[in-house]
Amino acid sequence: MKLCIDKADCVGNARCAAVAPELFPLDDDGYIAVSEIDVPPGSEELARRGAKACPERIIVIEE
Amino acid sequence: MAVQMSPLTEKPAHIGDQLVYDFDLFADPGILTAPHDRMLEIVAETPPVFWTPRNGGFWVMRGHAALFDAARDTETFSNDFVTPELAEKVFAALPPDIGHIPSAVPINMDPPMHRVYRMPIQGVFSPKHINTLKDSIRDLAAQLIDEIVGQGECEFMHAVAEPLPVIVFLRMLGLPVERLAEYRELVRAHLADAGGGDPVASIVKAQHIVESMTPTILERKDNPQDDILSMLWGIEIDGQPVTLQDIQNYGLLLFIAGLDTVMNGIGHGVRFLAAHQDVQAELRANPEKISDATEELLRRFTFTVPVRRCTRDVEFYGAHIKANERVMMLLPAADLDPQEFKNPEKFDMAREERVHIAFNAGPHRCLGSHLARVELNILYEELLKRLPAFSIPEDKPPVFHGGHVLGVDTLHLKWSVN
Repeated sequence: MKLCIDKADCVGNARCAAVAPELFPLDDDGYIAVSEIDVPPGSEELARRGAKACPERIIVIEE
Repeated sequence: MAVQMSPLTEKPAHIGDQLVYDFDLFADPGILTAPHDRMLEIVAETPPVFWTPRNGGFWVMRGHAALFDAARDTETFSNDFVTPELAEKVFAALPPDIGHIPSAVPINMDPPMHRVYRMPIQGVFSPKHINTLKDSIRDLAAQLIDEIVGQGECEFMHAVAEPLPVIVFLRMLGLPVERLAEYRELVRAHLADAGGGDPVASIVKAQHIVESMTPTILERKDNPQDDILSMLWGIEIDGQPVTLQDIQNYGLLLFIAGLDTVMNGIGHGVRFLAAHQDVQAELRANPEKISDATEELLRRFTFTVPVRRCTRDVEFYGAHIKANERVMMLLPAADLDPQEFKNPEKFDMAREERVHIAFNAGPHRCLGSHLARVELNILYEELLKRLPAFSIPEDKPPVFHGGHVLGVDTLHLKWSVN
């Protein structure tokens, strides 16, 4: 599973990291630090919840 | 506490009668007794975008999808909401010696300038930095609550909900906590400007707020400490060194944004807990669920109503809005929209759709959201830990006020004392 993130549209809600801080790295200002995440096996449910938690809806799941 | 309804504004010709609904954000009787019940009514009785003849005539956006789109379309929906006509009227009414007019930067700006002014203060409000404040916020909450435990009753807004964010704010900025009483009075005066009626009075009040901070701002230039006012002296805005007026403007924004918001968030949340013994019991037994409860309380009792100015003629969710017409973002209704949330009136900590718009969306997403969440979570944790089951005395129901922050004037609580 891969997550694609439209980084430019992140407004720093940090709700993804609130679900799974280890999956969603943030920069020092609290904005998503990456535009792609390779989800380690076993973390798919957390990844789905984290993606769904984004109020700006910028995290897209590629199964 | 009755508030006078505003005069009626004549409906512009281009607005269909079916879009008109009489709603006064400041004086609606429902808002003053049970604001979120009134929001549920509005959701049931209006289209996603409607027009009210009150408060000078406003579009009111209450649909979740409409507000989500509007929040992200800063070109169409501008934060620079003082229209040219309004600016002219205000300037004409100002006394010539009014002096510098402070400005709550950057809430009143649009991208790209908005981003230029927001960036320097993002770090201090980031989750990483706010987490370093948790221990001191917990100590403060514990102290405020311990002071009332033995009393068996309190007026909670005065005793806890207001001093907590005020003290946190004073500390973060570096303002002297010994002047707490003075700052609480400024907060009270700021909140009393309910109808936003007299623009000159608002400007004078903003100047008082800035005046109260200026001595400390100047002191921190020469003697920096570990606080926001000191940090601000070191920043550049668009490549230029920051000015005293820039820092005064930031100070004004942080004052307005940080105080009556958090305290009313606490007020609405604690009011609900006081009226629901079962939820208190569940959270005392399972404190790890408190963060879910905090989010669901923010959704169920969203309480801010930002404003936008439409910049062009646009068809938007069934409404024909013209350039320079103003829009109220009725976020409290958006989070009760059945199109977005199943059984929205139900408080359900485990609900599936849990993304709310209490902190708005888009570039103006509340900068203080991380601090707010920390303060709310810690307050609920300490309250549930230190007070036994608390409730609202029947003869002293909560009193609310309307406006751009739907607030709690008074919240009486009682509990048994051993």
